[in-house]
Amino acid sequence: MASFWTLQLHPTSIPHQAFEVRPQLGFTKRYRILKGKNKRKDFLLKASSSEDNQIKDETIISKTKNNATRVLQNQVSRLQETIVSLPPIIFSIKRSPHSKFALGFCIAATVLIVAVRAYVARKPKYQRQGSVADLVRRGQLNSDRRGISKTPMYDDPFNNPLVKISKNNSSVEMCGKVYRLAPVTLTREEQNIHQKRRSRAYQWKRPTIFLKEGDPVPADVDPDTVRWIPANHPFATTISDITEDLAQNNVYQKHGVPFRIQAEHEALQKKLEALQGDQKFNNLVIDPGTARNFERPFKSNMKLDDQQQGEHNSANGQTGLRPESQPNSASEEKQTQ
Amino acid sequence: MTSMQLLTEPSSLCSSNFIPFNPLYKNLIKPTTKPYPKLSPIRSVLQYNRKPELAGDTPRVVVITSGKGGVGKTTTTANVGLSLARLGFSVVAIDADVGLRNLDLLLGLENRVNYTVVEVLNGDCRLDQALVRDKRWSNFELLCISKPRSKLPLGFGGKALVWLVDALKDRQEGCPDFILIDCPAGIDAGFITAITPANEAVLVTTPDITALRDADRVTGLLECDGIRDIKMIVNRVRTDLIRGEDMMSVLDVQEMLGLSLLGVIPEDSEVIRSTNRGFPLVLNKPPTLAGLAFEQAAWRLVEQDSMKAVMVEEEPKKRGFFSFFGG
Repeated sequence: MASFWTLQLHPTSIPHQAFEVRPQLGFTKRYRILKGKNKRKDFLLKASSSEDNQIKDETIISKTKNNATRVLQNQVSRLQETIVSLPPIIFSIKRSPHSKFALGFCIAATVLIVAVRAYVARKPKYQRQGSVADLVRRGQLNSDRRGISKTPMYDDPFNNPLVKISKNNSSVEMCGKVYRLAPVTLTREEQNIHQKRRSRAYQWKRPTIFLKEGDPVPADVDPDTVRWIPANHPFATTISDITEDLAQNNVYQKHGVPFRIQAEHEALQKKLEALQGDQKFNNLVIDPGTARNFERPFKSNMKLDDQQQGEHNSANGQTGLRPESQPNSASEEKQTQ
Repeated sequence: MTSMQLLTEPSSLCSSNFIPFNPLYKNLIKPTTKPYPKLSPIRSVLQYNRKPELAGDTPRVVVITSGKGGVGKTTTTANVGLSLARLGFSVVAIDADVGLRNLDLLLGLENRVNYTVVEVLNGDCRLDQALVRDKRWSNFELLCISKPRSKLPLGFGGKALVWLVDALKDRQEGCPDFILIDCPAGIDAGFITAITPANEAVLVTTPDITALRDADRVTGLLECDGIRDIKMIVNRVRTDLIRGEDMMSVLDVQEMLGLSLLGVIPEDSEVIRSTNRGFPLVLNKPPTLAGLAFEQAAWRLVEQDSMKAVMVEEEPKKRGFFSFFGG
């Protein structure tokens, strides 16, 4: 059930007029007013201009629907007249075209100032020489590719907030964990003692020569300095294709074509020249009869078939069609001869 | 805990012989005269407020070795190398693991390795063509010794690396500051080849007795070969196991090997993830615990410094009064 509540405007704010909303009154004009979240309540809206509300209520209830509607229209029209009679600012501006121009000018000037200020604040970012934004603006760098070479992140090792040392240097906090620091107690004397112990325990000479198992030891080599490498060692071999001097030169080479690449290139060049010489020589002595042996088999078969057909046609008194390659090849053979 | 017992000898911290010279530390070291002095303030192991000063002659040829396999040599090479590059030094990392190279995978450069040292020796390409430049940090370059299915001719294996170092010195771009050599596991021919040109060594080990025995042996071989500047990185340290006395502490390891500490790397699951991604740990954001430790190790390597204090125990973080409210 709808609750009973009344909305009444003070008579001084709008003289001789008041709004009264009563859900019990069965007037024809219905307005839906939302109250709260989902509750919808129907109210009847009535405008009255009397000061005595009780008497007015009684007279209104007793009136018919037509009268009530007419009274309501009269009151609303009077309210509208009152509002129109008050001269608002916008209406006064409308009346003067100079004021309108001034207002427009002010708005335009404000927009212009805001835009200029934003542009000025933005400009130094792009003016910094050598910045990524500057390079993108100049077209030197494609902005789409910036994600590929992302610089590694933790790039300031001199200022690490995750490492904190206590004031008395007795503890350190790293990555949120606190560690107690204890001083190192090793002395130089202890280090020397350890070194002497190791020198006694480990008698070792650096191997100067690597030999494959089974190789004879050279005469001028200390057997203690020989390192024996198994013949089937997976990663090491005693066999090398090149000499030591050549390997050293290869390491020291700074410019130019590497040794082996050049050597291979020269070897290929010589081979090519030799092949070309051989071909000339062969071409000089080539026999047209044997040349047919080098032709592709399907062509020779075709040729044979054609020849057979030609012979057959000549036997029948007809001239067979010969392929175009046939006279050319024959002429070439003649040229070579 | 052993590390706590070792704390009763604090005078060693003030041994001026042990601590390498560094002008920044000059004022901090004060000799103690009392028999049981109060613990001198632990100089911080973390230095983030300045660029490290390069000590020694360039190129610093550092071999990263371990003896035992699977302790993190390649991971250390990749992370320390990229940390050095980020600190502004030019680095060439040589993967000297002949048959089982993996450094290119860790760096995410496996698709860009066309030529190796074997091709350079044979004259198939020049040295500059075999160097693979990292696009993330252009002062980092990778050089692989050989392809997985090829064999390295050992007739001049060690000499070849010496030639490489000489050739890198005389490059037009200038001499690199660091040449890191990732050594193969074991003490085979590959090890001998890898340590040949090195002036200093970084020994990577884990706090278990198998790795420690191999590390001791390898240290002995390095010393026999004339490499005296050996520092160690203790990898895969778990403070929770150390607290429960199920794992040797870093100070225990140091007591057994007698080597100065370059870094302590905690166990971190991010290592596997970064390895699979081909994105070294030190570049992760946010930085991980192991990444920070690698970075500190690289810092000390530059300054030829060693750790003066280690993180031995995890303390529960003290919470403030307003922590209940998220403060």
